[in-house]
Amino acid sequence: MPLEILLVLVVVGISGIGLMLHLTGRSRMRVLTHDLAWQDWLRHFPDDDVVDVTVSHDGHFALIRTKEVAGLLWSFGADTAARHLLDFDWLEHPEGFEILFHDFSIPRVIVRLDETERRHWRHLLDPV
Amino acid sequence: MTEQVSFPDAVQWAVPFFIAAILVEFVWIAIKGRGGRYETRDALTSLIMGAGNIASGFLLGFIAYAFFMWLWQITPLDLGTSVPVIFICFVLDDLRYYWVHRFGHRIRWVWASHVNHHSSQHYNLTTALRQTWTYTFTFMMVVRAPLILLGFHPAMVLFVGGLNLIYQFWIHTEAIRKMPRWFEAVMNTPSHHRVHHGRNARYLDCNYAGVFIIWDKLFGTFVPEQESDKVDYGLVHNIGTFNPLRVAFHEWVSIWRDATQTGLSLRQRLAYCFAPPGYSHDGSRNNSNQIKAKHLARHPEDHGTPGFEGFSASRQNGLADRS
Repeated sequence: MPLEILLVLVVVGISGIGLMLHLTGRSRMRVLTHDLAWQDWLRHFPDDDVVDVTVSHDGHFALIRTKEVAGLLWSFGADTAARHLLDFDWLEHPEGFEILFHDFSIPRVIVRLDETERRHWRHLLDPV
Repeated sequence: MTEQVSFPDAVQWAVPFFIAAILVEFVWIAIKGRGGRYETRDALTSLIMGAGNIASGFLLGFIAYAFFMWLWQITPLDLGTSVPVIFICFVLDDLRYYWVHRFGHRIRWVWASHVNHHSSQHYNLTTALRQTWTYTFTFMMVVRAPLILLGFHPAMVLFVGGLNLIYQFWIHTEAIRKMPRWFEAVMNTPSHHRVHHGRNARYLDCNYAGVFIIWDKLFGTFVPEQESDKVDYGLVHNIGTFNPLRVAFHEWVSIWRDATQTGLSLRQRLAYCFAPPGYSHDGSRNNSNQIKAKHLARHPEDHGTPGFEGFSASRQNGLADRS
């Protein structure tokens, strides 16, 4: 196949599919509830004993405390991603917190929290 | 020697079909309200990975081709290009695919290339196109050497390899539940391949087939899809990025970081590169056998069921996983 035609097909194909998915509502982020966050955490870490779950007001972030260690669960497209808070940097951010995992597969997560939540989460994470 | 042998690049010619089939699957799911899920950024990442795979073929394909042509120069055998020879080549290349794919899950160096294909939490036709950019660096092209030394022309070997990949496109779907029983018995199908993409403990390290599922049955790696254990797609530790560069290279970066830690022996450094995924020198990670054993400790009722044959809750020192 001529390279020019292949290039056009690829560019138009990817753009068209992306546009179609977005316009049909496939860009919506997963919204977490307390129970969903609990369930999703155990999906990622089935060996953990979850102690409590704190979900952010927008439903896109959850602080999970287990018997061993705390962790962060967040909406990742229509699904979730999760990491234990073991090897990370925790920075203040105008919207809440910025978490830098030392992990190339997760560059950074900006946790959007209001002022009350920010204080609460900081308190929950104090022992960490 | 057969000279001037030329075969089309089947994968490139299949691109319009790939796009059309994705549209059909999406519309089908939208109308029926079942049979899979689509998410914009996930699908775009998969499609860009597919485009990057073709681009990496343009940029790096000459390395494998030069190696194959060198083998072709030294082999005294030439089986020609008749239809039966092409068919035999296709079957033998599928056996080659099985082993390369199995190595791809059991040797971290090869897994670093293959991991991106498993990095989506979705399973639809775009997932099929979430292909590696770094296959050349795995040196798995050497597994094709016997075919060429046996007298199959390199162009033919690459052609049937392309057909193999095209076959595998359509099995990346939840829209097809089961094929007829005879077909499920011999061929790789959406059901068999869904299992391969599962991160459930039961489904780790199985169903490596490309076209013919018989290889898994022959070599003891076949696990049938279980109604009672819905496939959960993705990695044991799912990535948290849609950035194609991070998707393509994250495991290579992890290998580098692991192998260059201070205080390791040479053996430990090599193990971080070539042992099955999940290896760690301090036991802080789980390989697939350990994941299965832990699952059995939590769910003893699964003992002896498909995917757990020969495993026990006490068997912790296993070999591989999908980390």
